[in-house]
Amino acid sequence: MLSKIKFFMQQSWLLLLASFLFGLMIAVADTAWKPKVEENKTGKVKNMMKGLINANSFEVAAKDVNIPSDKGFIKTDIYKAVDEQGNVLGYEYITSGSGFGDKIELIIAVDAKCEKYLGYQVLSSNETPGFGDKIKGDYFSKQFVGAPAAEFTLVKVGKAEDIDNQIVAISGATITSTAMVNIFNKSIVSVKETLAQKGLIK
Amino acid sequence: MADGINTSPNYFNALTAGLWKENPTFRLLIGMCPPLAVTTAVKPALTMGLCVIFVLVCSNMVISLMRNLLKPHLRIIMFCLSIAAFVTVADLYLKAFAPDMSEILGAYVPLIIVNCIIIFRAEACASKSNVLVSILDGIGSGSGFTCALIILAGIRELLASGKFADIQVMPKGFVPWAAMQMPVGAFVTLGLLIGFAAIITAPKKD
Amino acid sequence: MSNISVLIMAFLSVVIVNNFVFTKFLGTCPYLGCSGRIDTAFGMGLAVTFVTTLSGILTWLVDHYILVPNKLEITRYICYIIVIAGAVQLVEMYVKKFFPPLYKSFGIFLPLISTNCVILGICLFINIWGINNLPEVAVLSAGAGIGFTVAICIMAAIRETLKLADVPPALKDAPITLITAGLLTLGFMGFTGMIK
Repeated sequence: MLSKIKFFMQQSWLLLLASFLFGLMIAVADTAWKPKVEENKTGKVKNMMKGLINANSFEVAAKDVNIPSDKGFIKTDIYKAVDEQGNVLGYEYITSGSGFGDKIELIIAVDAKCEKYLGYQVLSSNETPGFGDKIKGDYFSKQFVGAPAAEFTLVKVGKAEDIDNQIVAISGATITSTAMVNIFNKSIVSVKETLAQKGLIK
Repeated sequence: MADGINTSPNYFNALTAGLWKENPTFRLLIGMCPPLAVTTAVKPALTMGLCVIFVLVCSNMVISLMRNLLKPHLRIIMFCLSIAAFVTVADLYLKAFAPDMSEILGAYVPLIIVNCIIIFRAEACASKSNVLVSILDGIGSGSGFTCALIILAGIRELLASGKFADIQVMPKGFVPWAAMQMPVGAFVTLGLLIGFAAIITAPKKD
Repeated sequence: MSNISVLIMAFLSVVIVNNFVFTKFLGTCPYLGCSGRIDTAFGMGLAVTFVTTLSGILTWLVDHYILVPNKLEITRYICYIIVIAGAVQLVEMYVKKFFPPLYKSFGIFLPLISTNCVILGICLFINIWGINNLPEVAVLSAGAGIGFTVAICIMAAIRETLKLADVPPALKDAPITLITAGLLTLGFMGFTGMIK
């Protein structure tokens, strides 16, 4: 038995020593950089939210709201954008739906009365380059800025400059455009309801 | 010299071999996943290249240091262990200081572990030569790999969006080739580049 | 019913729509190296499928029951690669001892594939996609291997015919294979959007 242990140690002492040293190295790196990594994770969403509504701070207005999407419900938080004087500038929430390639994740912003959209930001998407990924571009996204927060319809021909409930599809990416409109249409009703329940909007 | 195999280590040769003669991507055709996957733009390609250089140099150094103590049958697992450890550090560093890049590269950073270049250099060079040669070899091969990535990414980004490293280069009327951003662009461009490399080297062989 | 349809969808998605070789560029090295003849390609594909299934499930179990409860996610990559290397070695020994004919036909590929990106790739993507039930993990990891087999067999069949074609000398072997693979990805792009 003892000789077996001795044989084992002879064969593997280097491996064990190296594992210990590498473990130590990773542990040091992890402790040193972990706070920074966490900060980056929250920082990205914060920056995108700031890009939509230039507010001083974001508070959680409603926690774990169930928003319908095409795959059942998603749990998300609704954030309240507040400026320096404490005025409410609007609300933002994260939602998602199936696009052409993969899931599309959006941050959607509405105004303080929840009557108009203030725009959206794409948190993650995997749409076809040159077609579906134009949802990140101005042509498509500008159509939502200032549009009334009600049901959208998708049209193939129309004026993209007109801000109304008609969204002009990206040519060659009808499925992606439909998915985007669906994400908006499915989520807005329950967001309005939740905010009304909390007495934040009329 | 401490080691008997390389009696007169050629430092210059170790450094330059990887750049062209043994260029991993164009000449040896190993480690082909990253050149295809992360070359939609120059910046992620450069980040990837730097990560590979870091991991390659560190693992070459460590393996070279312990080359006389290694038991042959535990060799591969030792390589894997040290490579995986350095990749974890590189991944953490990217997450902490370059979150955007970390997001674009995604799973391709941990996939450096199974990049054939690193294990090939460990086996072919680091387990036989002294520390300095191994480090130079790591820098050489890594830079060769990075150059290949940047050439490929440069062509693809230029044609796909008219930009180079996010700076507009092409004139305004340029119509972007969306296909260059898709997988097909990666495969065809790399195929043509390797063919081009073969043309350049062909007369020397004859 | 809905569970089974989810599994079928996941399988089709990973074999055809999100084929690892064509959309994620994983496993390109063996794809170029072993696609010269259709029988070697098929053997390689089978060996990979075998190991992806095994290591996909094993790494998921390790991740789910050991790493996450103990907050050791940081050592994830190291654990994955060691589990994979171990799995490959075990499979090799097992096949060699109990199925000598099988070992003769695809055993030679086994040591090669511990550094096949498809295997580490599926383990990592299962983690990234956040799959949290065992049947789906099993289906996805088997699917990744089968997807690789499909891709490499198509390529081998094309290359066997390509030998007779008049290819410019500079483009022979690897370059023309890459260009053909590029055209194949275009074909496979037609499947995008098939699965919601």
